Amino acid sequence: MVRKIKKAAVIGSGVMGGGIAALLASAGVRTVLLDIVPFDLKDEEKKDPAARNRIVKAGYDAMLKSNPSLLMQKKDADRISIGNLEDDFDTLKDCDWIVEVVVENLKIKQDLLKRIEPVRHENAVVSTNTSGIPLKAMSEGLSDGFRQHFLGTHFFNPVRYMKLLEIIPGQETLPEVLEFMADFGERILGKGIVWAKDTPNFVGNRIGIQGIVKAMQVMLEEGLTIPEVDALFGPPLGRPKTAMFKTSDLVGLDTMYHVAKNTYDMVPDDEQRESFVVPEFVKSMIDKKLLGKKAGAGFYKTDLTPEWKKIRKVINPETLEYEEYGKAEFPSLAAAKKAKSLPEKMQAIIYGEDKGAVFSWKVTASWLIYSANRIPEISDTIVEIDNAMKWGYNFEMGPFESWDAIGVKKSVEKMEKDGFDVPGKVKKMLANGNETFYKTENGRELFYDFESESYKEKQVSDKIVSLPALKAAGKTVKSCKSASLIDLGDGVLCCEFHTKMNAINKEIVDFMGESVEYVEKNAIGLVIGNQAGGMPGAFSAGGDLFYMGSLAKEGKFAEIDAFLKQAQEGMQRARYAHFPVVAAPFGLTLGGGCEVCLGTADKIVAHADLFMGLVEIGVGLLPAGGGCLNLWKKFISTLPEAVKGSDLAKFFTPAFMNIAMAKVSTSAADARANGFLGPNDRIIFNRDYLIGEAKKEVLKMADEGYAPPVKRKIKVLGEAAQGMINAEIFNMLSGRLITEYDAFLAKRIAYVLSGGDARTDGYVDEETILALEREAFIDFWKQEKTQARVEQMLTTGKPLRN
Amino acid sequence: MQDAYIVTSLRTPGCRRSKGAFKDTRPEDLLSHILNAAVERTPNLEKKDVSDIMIGCSFPEAEQGLNIGRIVSQIAGFPEAVPGATVNRFCSSGIEAISISAMRIMAGWSDIAIGGGVESMTYVPMGGNLPRPHPEYTKLNADLYTSMGITAENVAQRYKISREDQDEFAYNSQMKAAKAMKEKLYTEIVPTPAVKFIQNPDGTFKKETFLQDFDDGIRPTTTVEGLNKLNPVFAAGGSVTAGNSSQTTDGAAAAVLMSGDMVKKLGIKPIAKIKAYAVVGCRADEMGVGPRYAIPKALEMAGLSINDIGLFEINEAFASQALYCIRELGIDMEKVNIHGGAIALGHPLGCTGAKLCATLLANMQAKGVKYGVESMCIGGGMGAAAVFEMVE
Repeated sequence: MVRKIKKAAVIGSGVMGGGIAALLASAGVRTVLLDIVPFDLKDEEKKDPAARNRIVKAGYDAMLKSNPSLLMQKKDADRISIGNLEDDFDTLKDCDWIVEVVVENLKIKQDLLKRIEPVRHENAVVSTNTSGIPLKAMSEGLSDGFRQHFLGTHFFNPVRYMKLLEIIPGQETLPEVLEFMADFGERILGKGIVWAKDTPNFVGNRIGIQGIVKAMQVMLEEGLTIPEVDALFGPPLGRPKTAMFKTSDLVGLDTMYHVAKNTYDMVPDDEQRESFVVPEFVKSMIDKKLLGKKAGAGFYKTDLTPEWKKIRKVINPETLEYEEYGKAEFPSLAAAKKAKSLPEKMQAIIYGEDKGAVFSWKVTASWLIYSANRIPEISDTIVEIDNAMKWGYNFEMGPFESWDAIGVKKSVEKMEKDGFDVPGKVKKMLANGNETFYKTENGRELFYDFESESYKEKQVSDKIVSLPALKAAGKTVKSCKSASLIDLGDGVLCCEFHTKMNAINKEIVDFMGESVEYVEKNAIGLVIGNQAGGMPGAFSAGGDLFYMGSLAKEGKFAEIDAFLKQAQEGMQRARYAHFPVVAAPFGLTLGGGCEVCLGTADKIVAHADLFMGLVEIGVGLLPAGGGCLNLWKKFISTLPEAVKGSDLAKFFTPAFMNIAMAKVSTSAADARANGFLGPNDRIIFNRDYLIGEAKKEVLKMADEGYAPPVKRKIKVLGEAAQGMINAEIFNMLSGRLITEYDAFLAKRIAYVLSGGDARTDGYVDEETILALEREAFIDFWKQEKTQARVEQMLTTGKPLRN
Repeated sequence: MQDAYIVTSLRTPGCRRSKGAFKDTRPEDLLSHILNAAVERTPNLEKKDVSDIMIGCSFPEAEQGLNIGRIVSQIAGFPEAVPGATVNRFCSSGIEAISISAMRIMAGWSDIAIGGGVESMTYVPMGGNLPRPHPEYTKLNADLYTSMGITAENVAQRYKISREDQDEFAYNSQMKAAKAMKEKLYTEIVPTPAVKFIQNPDGTFKKETFLQDFDDGIRPTTTVEGLNKLNPVFAAGGSVTAGNSSQTTDGAAAAVLMSGDMVKKLGIKPIAKIKAYAVVGCRADEMGVGPRYAIPKALEMAGLSINDIGLFEINEAFASQALYCIRELGIDMEKVNIHGGAIALGHPLGCTGAKLCATLLANMQAKGVKYGVESMCIGGGMGAAAVFEMVE
């Protein structure tokens, strides 16, 4: 038998249930979403199917409305059918995976599983998304067959965006079932798998909540304010911007409290059990329903002045009143902001001497020790714990990576001096001369294994290609400060950008040109991709505005033109080279990053969470690295030649809107719907697979006997576009929907995209549009309003509408 | 010149674009049905005796193209010898077609002619399938192509027609229409076959028809508060909403016209004669003001004044422009659109001129009014008005 999940069921339509159903549907799985019949139905409603489905319908609707969207695209919702647990229970019989996400109550879960047992087919996998109830208790008294197919699958909120999926084997779960679900979770749903054990709150929440609650306790002891804590435990320590308290507001104080209390109750022997006692002021907040974002007020709240100005306020733990607050300031924080790398930032804070530094040290030291002590209780390796924190809490580094970053030896000395109880296994590791938890040897990534007291190689799927590992193994073919060419093996090279946000600068443009020449001589194909971190991360956030801006300021327009020409020609050369090129975008793929994908690739292999767009108009510019040309080509290239006289305006309008409205896709599926991806481009759910899958596509094309596309004249809408857009822009301007300058920019973009003063439905050379792009780009730079837009973007990061 | 008499004037119901009863009914079928009904309801008239069929249509292309005036004369079963033509002056096309037929009779070139109008805004979108404004001319004069919503905003803004007044006007239109429908006062409506596609058990579809006998855009539950809540759709901070604009609609209408001699010969009692028809141009970006200029011109031609007119049908393209024209001309609101207007009943562009004629004549007969006026604004910057006189 080959296991497949053709149909799945999600029982429980709350935030998590709806999120899991949305992810399954987006991944192409038919999904049934079930919930209970309301208890309070009136007599006349008792036979009304709509009334009986009221709860599940509300959950389904909330999922549809979620922002950011849980579905990859709205139409994926048609793979989800809804029902209730009384009338539709039979629909479970042909489900291959049934996941329960009902209320965290042992009795309710036990009863539900008992009902599922006789209905499920013999190979159906049943899992629980519980975050705290032991699987053992849940499955007690059920048949062997059931328990062999029963496991924990713990997703994180929001399900689409959080990479973590904890898999918790039951005592009797068949190994093949576990392997199958791990593969399904990783490959089909795109998650990062962390193997957890059946212990309270598993890995992510056990370690994560300890850190949060401990921080709250120490904050009160040390007399810090909430904004001070968030300033420290944000990006300077490798944590997300939402830091501690804003994250709690997002999660919900009640949920956070529930997990903390549940842990406390279930770990009587935990040496840091007291770390899970939530401070009284937080309990008072929960009593007052100040639950966070969902309640409109939590640790933070935003008030509006009568002038609609936002005022951000924070709660005072002593008075429970909301107060305005300023920027948190500590010398250590200032030092961290100046430091370049994350380890340097962390060290600046952890080893500082001010109040903020002392606080951060106490919380961090306690957290590191707590994490080390949880092995092997909650997981077998440090890798699982680090991954859980990175994937489930969006930390840049988990505890052991953080420990390496601040120096294990130095920090342990300080811990001992300050009276912390350092775990014996860590001391032993140091005593044996092992001073880091991780290291790389010959391109192999190793971690320190407490059990064997030695380094072991990290186990990852063979589908995952790691660029850092390849580079460490000396596979870099050529390199500069901004980009590298890496040998992926089998004759395939990867051009990796590594600037800030992977912005495209002059050096990258030069490097890409050289890379194309190199590949032409020495390889069979090229992947353009990178593995920058972050959520959603950036394949490339665009062109280097600063570089262009400084040329414009000095009036060096000929140099801008030369630069654009070089970029355009480089991409054209890659496009028409005698080797296949595959681009592997993910996350932010904007402006120049988008142009690289559209302009060079025979095929795009995109991560499902793709935020792709040509957003240049936001800074008063237009795509001039071939973006206009290649988006237009993408739009019309799928027309069969036999289709004559089709209305090009129908193609022109959405292509124009993409550029003139700076549309950014909300997913790869949405990018396809908007014409950025074509029917031959692929969407991959697991971001870690991108480079490997892109490489496969290169090899496949090479194997099939790759021949470059033939360059031909392209059909354009010509001057008809000008009339259409002039009239439409006039209306938008009259309706005060756009500014005069927006109108100026949009008309010129229409002119470029339609081939300029060309005969309607006529043919022009690709170079015609490229030249029009460059001319318009330079004319735009000469405008004061474009310079003002760029200036504001560079200084504040926010667009200016002028 | 001799007089031209309208002996029959009828319309199909007006049904909501893409959502209403006619969403699956081709415009040719709507028109064919109303032409046949007009012939059948005219005593002693034989199809072969009709000298020409003029059909107004605002977007005469695709399903409405290929000269729908001729095509439908054949679909409706007129003999080959009976010709047909399409007439386009956007929103006045229907009355333009009637007036061309009238003029032919007045000139003595013809004794019997039909004028009518049709528009399926479902099948052919407003603006047409391939709008192509002129590339050079639009560089400086894009206002010639101003969208209708923006013209309505311009009228509201330039002539200070408040949001409250527009919404109240819209509410009254709905209420008048709801009352008229309830009291079955739309005697000019001919129940019309509508198509729907029904799925067979095997997944294939079949066409079925049902009879539609009411305007399906009327909203009796409309409230002023509900209208106040709607967002402006054309301009940021504007006042024109979906609720105080006309509905986009599918429908057809037709009128049979005859000379005095022919009326006598066939022994028919005519309803009214056309006294005058006038069209005036105005600024394209405030085309809604058109009736304010067209009505006085038509009245002058007829030798009448505003006070002589007992009933008005003024097309409610937008509440802002209708209100402006009514106020400027000092028209008594009690005489205007007594059974509601296009805000409730819909505005099937090219049909509207013939539709308002049918409604106006039915109301003039019911109320015993001697003179009536229909008028509308026209995209591109024009207004049209026609004056009718009841035959005693």
